[in-house]
Amino acid sequence: MSQTPSLKRQLLRQAVADNVSTLKGELPPQPSRTAASPKRQAPWRLMSLAALTILAAGILLMLRQTPSAQANPSPVPGTNALPTAAAMKSANERRFVTAPQPIDSDVFPLEVKRIVVDPGHGGDDFGTADNDLVEKDLTLDIALRLAKLLRSDGYEVLLTREDDRKLSLRERAGIANGQHSDLFISIHVNWMSTRQARGVETYFLGTTEDPALKELTRRENRESGYSLADMKYLLEGIYTGVRRDASRQFADRVQRSLFGSLKRVNPSLKNRGVKTAPFVVLVSTEMPAILAEVSCLSNREEARLLARPLYRDGIAEALARGIRGYADDVHQTEEKGS
Amino acid sequence: MSDSSGTLNVGIDLGTSHCAVSASNGQRHVIESYVGWPVDMVARKVLKKDVLVGTEAVESRTMLDLHRPLERGLVKEGSDKDLNAVQVLLRTLLDLAGVDRGDKKNKTIVRAVVGVPAEAMRVNKQQLRTTLDGEVDALMIVSEPFAVAYGLDALLHSMVVDIGAGTTDFCVMRGRFPTEDDQRTLNNAGDSVDEMLLKQIGEKYPEAQISIFMAREWKEKHGFVGKPQQRIKVTAPIKGTPTTLDITDEMRTACESIVGPITETMLDLLPRVAPEFQEKVRNNIILSGGSSQIAGLRAALEEGLKPVGGGSIRGVKNPVFEGSDGGLALALDAPDSDWDKLG
Repeated sequence: MSQTPSLKRQLLRQAVADNVSTLKGELPPQPSRTAASPKRQAPWRLMSLAALTILAAGILLMLRQTPSAQANPSPVPGTNALPTAAAMKSANERRFVTAPQPIDSDVFPLEVKRIVVDPGHGGDDFGTADNDLVEKDLTLDIALRLAKLLRSDGYEVLLTREDDRKLSLRERAGIANGQHSDLFISIHVNWMSTRQARGVETYFLGTTEDPALKELTRRENRESGYSLADMKYLLEGIYTGVRRDASRQFADRVQRSLFGSLKRVNPSLKNRGVKTAPFVVLVSTEMPAILAEVSCLSNREEARLLARPLYRDGIAEALARGIRGYADDVHQTEEKGS
Repeated sequence: MSDSSGTLNVGIDLGTSHCAVSASNGQRHVIESYVGWPVDMVARKVLKKDVLVGTEAVESRTMLDLHRPLERGLVKEGSDKDLNAVQVLLRTLLDLAGVDRGDKKNKTIVRAVVGVPAEAMRVNKQQLRTTLDGEVDALMIVSEPFAVAYGLDALLHSMVVDIGAGTTDFCVMRGRFPTEDDQRTLNNAGDSVDEMLLKQIGEKYPEAQISIFMAREWKEKHGFVGKPQQRIKVTAPIKGTPTTLDITDEMRTACESIVGPITETMLDLLPRVAPEFQEKVRNNIILSGGSSQIAGLRAALEEGLKPVGGGSIRGVKNPVFEGSDGGLALALDAPDSDWDKLG
């Protein structure tokens, strides 16, 4: 079984390019990813924006529907209570000939260029802590490493904070939305009541009935000002289709990369999987958004690993791989569609 | 001893258990991945060396601060001694390959291709690069199964399963430089079998005194999966008395512990191949690495492929040198202009 010399030459060239990238401190080049011309991107971007605008307008119209116009019981006058999910469904059915169905995200291919990295907590919001290891410092350190990797790969990266300062969840989402970023990733470190528990998990927006997740969500949503009931209504009533699918795919990629990479240096690591939870920072962002719990500070072994810069570098690299993998998926979808 | 151009190309497999080198001057050597330093002045006087490498180090381990510096195929983290040990291993391999460090006038240019686990992270590669800085003149790091595939010319519609001591590495070759999606690394490999064997025997014979070295040696001699051909009996001390132990069932359990994870990973990778080529890949699976020599393993893995239509798995001629030979092939094929970028 002899291969053509040209194939060998090609593979050798790619092997050398991969090594040169490592020497430069870049992520290795992926053969599947090619730069799309701005000319080709533009119609897709415009179509995507137009489609999202129409969706957003529909959602706003639905939200502004006066309670009196509905057949369902009205909320008590003078309160700001939100309409029930059933009322929303009814209004929905009248406004559209048929109720909106989940939309295939493949029809809205989005090119990834600008990424917002959100280091969780900060300032007097310490997050979790184990002796000298504090979540707000760890998330910032990992975020800075991640930003460096992504920038070296040609992405435009914005950090919600670059130093030890407190930001509300709304401010974090505002930065991502204001900068029209394409992806949002919030970095956190977990704490479990069982000291033996360990692992990585990645969240995208959705509801949860898991009591432990509800507790985690409450902790992370402390500064939001919304209740879980409000959030559940918002999620069930509004959040369908493109962004949810994209966020799920994004979360899948990052989780796979996190577990796959870190398992090598942390053999007992547990894959806690991709989960949904109504974190405010995911609700308020307008692009595919995820929250990654990159390690578990309550576990002694993971705390020991987190103290090592090389391990934090590994986390950043795994996140970068996941982001890049998702960006490649999106890009390939676009190529197939064009 | 370099070739006539004054350049020595080498392929190196830095394995957790063994390190192998194949050089362009025809030299091929393998050493155990152990480095030891005498623990005190007495030990130094007895051993008459400042540092011992390979089998010699294992045999004198009671007098040494013994290091196996590669863990799951990568440099262990956080210990200067382990970093130093990797440098010692590499120097030993280069010495065996004929590099004369003393000859400053006719200095040999050494170009090395080193194989690492398939899913080694960029930071690991950088760390390895830093560790080997100064030891060679130019360095290319590639995934171990890719080096095997390159050396065997199995670059299209094939899958390499490289079962080493620390890791089992998978790589699907589809005529391109393998990406993250084409490769997998499992920690189920030779070492995990040794550890399980040690545990299993310990449970059956709680009073037997057994070390991981003994378990490893027994596995290398008697390892098997499937139906036993004969009972496996070994000798180990119990309360100081040499005693015969029947470890047949324990050996089978330990060796079979890697069959499931390896089969699952092959089955996970196969659907990622374009449908029209899946059968070709299924029938072109190459098993390499020292731990692939466990008797009956190939047949057991083929059995695992039956639910997806069956497949054909073949072994390599020389599992010990296939990775370093592949590295050497890469080193020889790379033009000077490419090596200039990697110096």
